[in-house]
Amino acid sequence: MHQRTADVIIVGGGVHGCAGAYELAKAGVKVALFEANYLSSGGSGRSAAGIRQHFGTEVNCRLAQYNVQCFTHLEEELGAELPLDYAQWGYMWVAYTDSCLDQLKKNVDLQNSLGTPSVIMTPGEVKAKWPYLRLDGIIGAAFCHQDGHINPQTMTIAYGRQAERLGATVKTHSPVERLLASGDKITGVVVNGEEWHADKVVLTAGPWSTPLAATVGVELPVSPERHNLLVTEQVEPFQCPMVLCLDDGAYFKQCPNGSFFLGRDDAGEPKTTESGNSWKFLEGVTKSVLSRIPVLSGVRVVRQWSGPYDNTPDHQAIIDWAPVEGLLINCGWSGHGLQFGPSGGRLIREMVTGQPTFVDIRRFRLARFAENDLFFEPAYI
Amino acid sequence: MRMIDEHPILEYRHGQRVKFSFDGREMEGYEGEPIAMALHANGVRIYRETPEMKRPRGFFCAIGKCSSCFMVVDGVPNVRTCVTPLTAGMNVQTQRGKGTVALEEA
Repeated sequence: MHQRTADVIIVGGGVHGCAGAYELAKAGVKVALFEANYLSSGGSGRSAAGIRQHFGTEVNCRLAQYNVQCFTHLEEELGAELPLDYAQWGYMWVAYTDSCLDQLKKNVDLQNSLGTPSVIMTPGEVKAKWPYLRLDGIIGAAFCHQDGHINPQTMTIAYGRQAERLGATVKTHSPVERLLASGDKITGVVVNGEEWHADKVVLTAGPWSTPLAATVGVELPVSPERHNLLVTEQVEPFQCPMVLCLDDGAYFKQCPNGSFFLGRDDAGEPKTTESGNSWKFLEGVTKSVLSRIPVLSGVRVVRQWSGPYDNTPDHQAIIDWAPVEGLLINCGWSGHGLQFGPSGGRLIREMVTGQPTFVDIRRFRLARFAENDLFFEPAYI
Repeated sequence: MRMIDEHPILEYRHGQRVKFSFDGREMEGYEGEPIAMALHANGVRIYRETPEMKRPRGFFCAIGKCSSCFMVVDGVPNVRTCVTPLTAGMNVQTQRGKGTVALEEA
């Protein structure tokens, strides 16, 4: 008879869950991953998939350096069946106010002190390097040439497939209904009406983590926020970097296949995990982005979509053991989680197998919210 | 320019005759008629080259759906020339690959 047990159960087939399954399977741990829909169907696959080392807190800067080291050889490491489309065409934060530029300078100072080769550029340097950009009114920018793009769907799926090849059980279209605990110890999950038992459960379900954690009495301050994105048809690549404009939160970048991703902040978006989108986004983002890169004005939009951020009050992740023994939380990445897949997976493996973590992540502890010891990430979009 | 002048059912009314350029060569066509129509009348059959296999593509669906007639027009790639009206002085270029955005004219 089929034994529905594993050493570790992972709930959520986004990039952190799949990378965690891969890392654990590689370490010889018997792991089972459940995904409600298909791998990468939540926030991961809907992400703008920016890869950046521009952060304003040391822990994120250090993890981001590790991510970039991994991305360069990830396709080979995972035996990816589909290309991961990794490109290092750079990532630029553009400041329109003194206070923004001051913050960028602080961030870049921190990054440089940790060895990340980011730079502050003047408006003249930006103009000279990318003459097709029309960034009127900017007072400076922060740029890192190592940063860029990866395909969020093929990366997530590659992690999941490699985990399976290494012996992990990966079940898609298998929504976890609730977690199981006995006393204050986790014992498993209920999925498709069946109980699966494990001494350790890893919750990597993004904004869907909150209701699942509540089933064993754990309160997570993680809430969804819908963000929109669109993609254009392809043109010959000219290596346009990711450009993030800090006046209205508009951003754009070219992907290796030549298409452009366009996105923009919208405070009026519903706080929901429901997807959906609007003309309002299409109109707002195209007007804003085309004023900064008018050479795209004849390029057509192919489609738009949305996906949920999993926001925490300080826009920092939660990576910590929950008050229920054996329940590991990895969620709340607040919109920058996709690129942290490699380090997130490694941290899951290290924590589950009882090793010290390769970067000090105590600041990601869950109790910081109850203790009002928030830890804001200044480089948050 | 070679076009059908007489048709048993349809009556042809053309707009103004205008000049445009195709890959640097000056040509004439009728304003407001599809770019692809003007090219066809001038004997141009190859409009683009595919990105991967470098195969020629030309007039095909004629209703703006099939991607066969994509060309670079006034610096804009992937213009559906079968449904885009010709105007005087247009710069029409064979599209190679995915089409190049005119950065130098920015």
